[in-house]
Amino acid sequence: MKKSLKRALPVFLIILTAAAAVAISLAYYGFISAKIFEDSSVHLDEIYSQVNRSFSEFVNRHRELLESFGDYIGMSSGDPSAASDFAENKRQYWGFSDLYLVLRDGGCISADGEREQLGLAPQDFEGLGENELVISGASLSDGSEVTVFAMPIKPGNLDGFEYFAAAISYTNADLAESLKINAFEGKAKCFVIYGDGSVLISTTAGGNIYGNYLTYLKGASDLTESELEKLKSDWSGEASGLKRCKIGGERQFLIYRPVEYQELVLLSIVPESVVIAGFSAVQRITLFVIGAMFLLVFTSLVILIVNSFGRRFKQSRTELKYRELMFDVLSKSVDDIFIMIDSRGNAVDYISPNVERLLGIPYAEAKRNIRAIEKCTVGYDDLVTPENEIDAVPVQGSKSWECEYVHQLTGERRWYRGTIYSMSVSDTKKYIVVMSDRTKEQQMTQKLTEALNAARSANEAKSNFLSNMSHDIRTPMNAIVGFSVLLEKDADKPEKVKEYTRKITASGHHLLSLINDVLDMSKIESGKTSLNTDTFSLPELLDDIGIIISPQAKAKNQDFKISVEGAPPEKLLGDRLRLNQIIINLLSNAVKYTPADGKIDFTVSELPPPAPNYAKLRFTVKDNGIGMSEEFVSQIFAPFSREINSVTNKIQGTGLGMAITKNLVDLMGGIITVDSVLGEGSTFTVELTFALSEVEDAASWLKNRVTRILVADDEEHICLDVKELLSESGIETDIACDGHTAFNLAEKAYLAGRGYDVILLDWKMPGLDGVETARKIRDSIGKKVPILVLSSYDWSDIEEEARSAGINAFMPKPFFVSTLCEVLRPLYSDRPAPPPKKQPEQEEENLLDGRLFLVAEDNDLNAEILTEMLKMDGAECELAKNGREALDMFAASPEGKYDMILMDVQMPQMNGYEATRAIRSLDRPDAKTIPIAAMTANTFAEDVKNALEAGMNAHLAKPIDIAAMKKLLSELLREADKKEGKNV
Amino acid sequence: MFKKTICILISLALCLCLCSCGGKSGEEIELMGKKSDLAKSYMQKIFRLYEAETGNRIKLTEIEDSQFEAEALKRMQSGDGPDILMHFHNADLLRFDVSGSFCDLSGEEWVNDLTDSAKAYCTDSDGRLLGLPFWESSVSGCYYNKTLLDSLGLKPASSQAEFDMLCEAILESGRTPICWPADGCSWMIQFALDPLFADVPENLEKINRNEIKYSDLPEIEKMAEWISAASSNGWFGSDYLSTGWDGISPALSSGSAVMTFIWDTWFYTDFVPGTYTVDDFALMPVFLNTCDGGTYEGGNLNMMMVNKNSEKAEAALDFLRFCAEPDNYNAAFEGISTVSCFKGQTTNIQSKMVTDAAASISAKERVSTAASRIIGYSADGVAETVNKMLRGKLTPEQLVDELDSSRISEASAEGAEGF
Repeated sequence: MKKSLKRALPVFLIILTAAAAVAISLAYYGFISAKIFEDSSVHLDEIYSQVNRSFSEFVNRHRELLESFGDYIGMSSGDPSAASDFAENKRQYWGFSDLYLVLRDGGCISADGEREQLGLAPQDFEGLGENELVISGASLSDGSEVTVFAMPIKPGNLDGFEYFAAAISYTNADLAESLKINAFEGKAKCFVIYGDGSVLISTTAGGNIYGNYLTYLKGASDLTESELEKLKSDWSGEASGLKRCKIGGERQFLIYRPVEYQELVLLSIVPESVVIAGFSAVQRITLFVIGAMFLLVFTSLVILIVNSFGRRFKQSRTELKYRELMFDVLSKSVDDIFIMIDSRGNAVDYISPNVERLLGIPYAEAKRNIRAIEKCTVGYDDLVTPENEIDAVPVQGSKSWECEYVHQLTGERRWYRGTIYSMSVSDTKKYIVVMSDRTKEQQMTQKLTEALNAARSANEAKSNFLSNMSHDIRTPMNAIVGFSVLLEKDADKPEKVKEYTRKITASGHHLLSLINDVLDMSKIESGKTSLNTDTFSLPELLDDIGIIISPQAKAKNQDFKISVEGAPPEKLLGDRLRLNQIIINLLSNAVKYTPADGKIDFTVSELPPPAPNYAKLRFTVKDNGIGMSEEFVSQIFAPFSREINSVTNKIQGTGLGMAITKNLVDLMGGIITVDSVLGEGSTFTVELTFALSEVEDAASWLKNRVTRILVADDEEHICLDVKELLSESGIETDIACDGHTAFNLAEKAYLAGRGYDVILLDWKMPGLDGVETARKIRDSIGKKVPILVLSSYDWSDIEEEARSAGINAFMPKPFFVSTLCEVLRPLYSDRPAPPPKKQPEQEEENLLDGRLFLVAEDNDLNAEILTEMLKMDGAECELAKNGREALDMFAASPEGKYDMILMDVQMPQMNGYEATRAIRSLDRPDAKTIPIAAMTANTFAEDVKNALEAGMNAHLAKPIDIAAMKKLLSELLREADKKEGKNV
Repeated sequence: MFKKTICILISLALCLCLCSCGGKSGEEIELMGKKSDLAKSYMQKIFRLYEAETGNRIKLTEIEDSQFEAEALKRMQSGDGPDILMHFHNADLLRFDVSGSFCDLSGEEWVNDLTDSAKAYCTDSDGRLLGLPFWESSVSGCYYNKTLLDSLGLKPASSQAEFDMLCEAILESGRTPICWPADGCSWMIQFALDPLFADVPENLEKINRNEIKYSDLPEIEKMAEWISAASSNGWFGSDYLSTGWDGISPALSSGSAVMTFIWDTWFYTDFVPGTYTVDDFALMPVFLNTCDGGTYEGGNLNMMMVNKNSEKAEAALDFLRFCAEPDNYNAAFEGISTVSCFKGQTTNIQSKMVTDAAASISAKERVSTAASRIIGYSADGVAETVNKMLRGKLTPEQLVDELDSSRISEASAEGAEGF
């Protein structure tokens, strides 16, 4: 409504201005007209007063003429020719038609003596009788009409006719000529009329056609009856007047004034245009100028308003264009389709251009025919479409539907929610269709459904797990409880006690691993797991893995091999602990589910790096174990999943190992895949990307000292791998696939003066094995060249024989340049090579004997167990109930009293971390050096990290693994002893 | 016996005397005319009267209208012409050897009884009275609605200038001044041309000898210009080009048109009274800018011409004298609406319009000359050509040229001398 008023305002202003201009112009025009009328009245009055005087003079002169005619006739003593002579004489001057002598019998004779009938009316004779001049219209015998001026003269007799008056006749034309009333250049009419309007004389050139001018005005003018009556009254009352009226479509002035004869009236009709033609030019110019000014002002106003409108229109159009542009851009950038349909014929007024991108329909085709969209619907024949829906849309209402559409070019499917709005635009019914892309929502719904299903599945798995765990927990618990009872019963039987104790311990360990897995999984699932990225050595990692897995495989007489393909970098940035966990999990499972005498291969392959300074490695664990069913493979990474069969039922497991592995791989941004055939074995592949660590380049060290190496291994690919790795360091490598070839090459080179700097020999080779080959080489070329034995077996088994054969050191497989450097460094510096790492089973020196431990433990039972365990190794303990007490005890103790502090973490009053920090901050020398080990059920990596950050030296997980604890404590004590300079 | 013989001789003498006194009693006179003309009631009546009165017999030779001219000419030229030939004084009569074939009747006693108009019609350029006019007649002029004109405060025109003023004044009153039924109008122009050829017989003779053309007479172009101007001024109304003969009566009786150029008997044959009746009309001259005072066209009169070469010429003259007897022509024309040919004609019905305008008619009436006596004149052709001008296809000057062209062409086709 406001908008309409706003739009109407300029139009209203124009109309108002125009109306004002017209009103002012009309008022001014009226004023001017009145002025003109006033001036014209004066002007006309002057003119026709003069005309009236002229007419009176004309009549008077005729009176005199007739009187002189009478006198002349009288003097001629009845001479007939006298009249004729007189008439002839005067006609030339006066221009009349004829002269007559009027007889008493009503007839007359012309000047020529012809008898004539003038047709004078009785009242004319009356007038003559009263000695008056008579002016009258008359008809001659030939029908022609004349105007007669008659005047009584002295009666007489002419040629026998008795006359008493004389008359003179004029035709109208002659009379007009004689009167010479030519006001206004002959454009005016002038009449002498009777009071009733009858025309007596017309001065109009050419004659007279008016019988009665009043009657004529009645039919031909716009005068009203009352005005006509007024005229009649004026004329008969011998009044003067001026009237303006329209006659025959033209505006005329009527001017009338009485004539002094016979109550006649002089009437003049003057066209207004003729009168106004004499109007002051100044006034006309003034009128023109004012009119022009009005026109100019009005035109200017109109132009201003039109310009204003134009600007607004342009602005509106620009805004509209912007909006359209914005809408087009918007519609292109969104996945919603907008359509506007005209109800008349369902023609498409607008369709967003993104229809081509979203549905694969050419824009022009969709614009031309809305049905083109139908083609895209899935189930095209059955589903509703925008057009089909139109009729069902209520007025000013809307209707929605959901439908899946297929992209016509790519076949991609998208879900759309369509809504049709029916609305009226400028009295035209329009439909607006909005097709909103709901694909993501649909996918989300699908994912949620899947997630729900997964959750349900997980929940179900958890239920199953709990059921299993109930069994798995109860089984070792039952063993612990049961064997504890038996232990009490058979306490006096050492063999039984030993047997029961071993079984209780085994059950406890199983229970512990079960709990650890559950907790680990719980933490991963809660998203609290984070990676501790640091530089680590791939060779060391593989070495450690070999140390852990080899015994397990050996125990089951399985063939376990670690190999490296390509030349993977040795120093990497990553979470070594988690990577280790992943590989150990896979290998543990391989060992676990591969029967005795089976084969397990662990391969590390270098893949093309995804980016500079990055390395991509593939870890493959392949076994020929029991394999898995397809169903199980599909959910192997789901938590709490375990294959159920006769074999697996006999194998203890939590069902969380692979789920944890999968989550850790995901956490590290890697991919884990599994390929398994039931009964044939499984292959797990893990691909991970690591950043390269900037550490000392082992290759450059080696390059400065070694130029030629001989590698001998019966497996050629190992030789080639070694050659490739060394070639990167610029070292020339010869390979030999057996001992004899190796020997020959070594001898030949030596003899040629190009002896090898290092010789690598595989231990187990067909024919000559490594030891034998080494012995022959030593015999041939002497002891100068370092000979290393390559083996994935335990060095301790062959060390004695190897050293006797002249082998300098052990080189574990897989081969790494850095490992080679580590092995060669002592040889080139004349230092003895470091002893190989001992296997876990190797016996440790008892460093606990005689040591005093400060144990902070709020749990009495745990404290007692720990005390007893340490006592078993000859150590003593002093107990503190919490961190505060431990702090106080340490602070109060003499320096060096305690050899080590074992600190629980979660304790009342002061926790382990706080206590450790407090101890480390004490101002005494041993506060900084005394080993402090955390003993806590908080076993995650973060816990370890927190412990170290608090100043602790190590972390021991509860429940305490006695062997691990003893090993750790021994190491800590050894380190401490070293720092203190003790000889351990 | 002598007495008997004397008686017989006396009786024979009486018989002879009676026979001679009756002059040709029982004689048969051949009268040749158009079949339709001879069938007129007044003609039949006079024939019967004559035969009854005289015992003579009128042998009527009735010729089909279309064959009349050829047959009559053939008979007259063969020397075996009829005793009396009925013919109009028109251009066709010029083919006959008028002076050698027909008696000059100007010496007859009944000549003085003829009206001036009738006498003028029957007189040729040599002053010979060619025949006895015995026909119904009318006066063509400008018939106007006098009642209406009076109510408008106007009076009839007496000059061309007044007529023009009158037209303008009538138009100003919102009425059509002149009813001009252009579609089929074939008579208007001849009214205008009559003064040029009736008043100046030399013009007629020259044009019939092809010595002058219309274009040599400036009045004709003036006439054309006036007609064109009148049309432009709206004096003929707005739809006059599609108005025909049937449109005249409604226009006049309703008062939508005030004047028309027609003849008085039309009011008794074709006019259907409406708002106005015949009594509301009066007559004034036709003004078509060819003569300032206006003109009336006298009637075309069928004349009974006596074959001077006939053996029964005297008897034929006697028959004409019989017809010219007041009792006889009054008996014949009793009740017939016609303008009188004889001054003593009293039983015919003569319109008031004509009698009222008698003085004017007497002064301004012309013998119907153009239409009847100009060789090659075609009323329809003239009307058609004028219409072309009114439709804007011809200028007034071109109109005159085309009128000449068609006239000369027609005359040539007729084999007229000089063309």
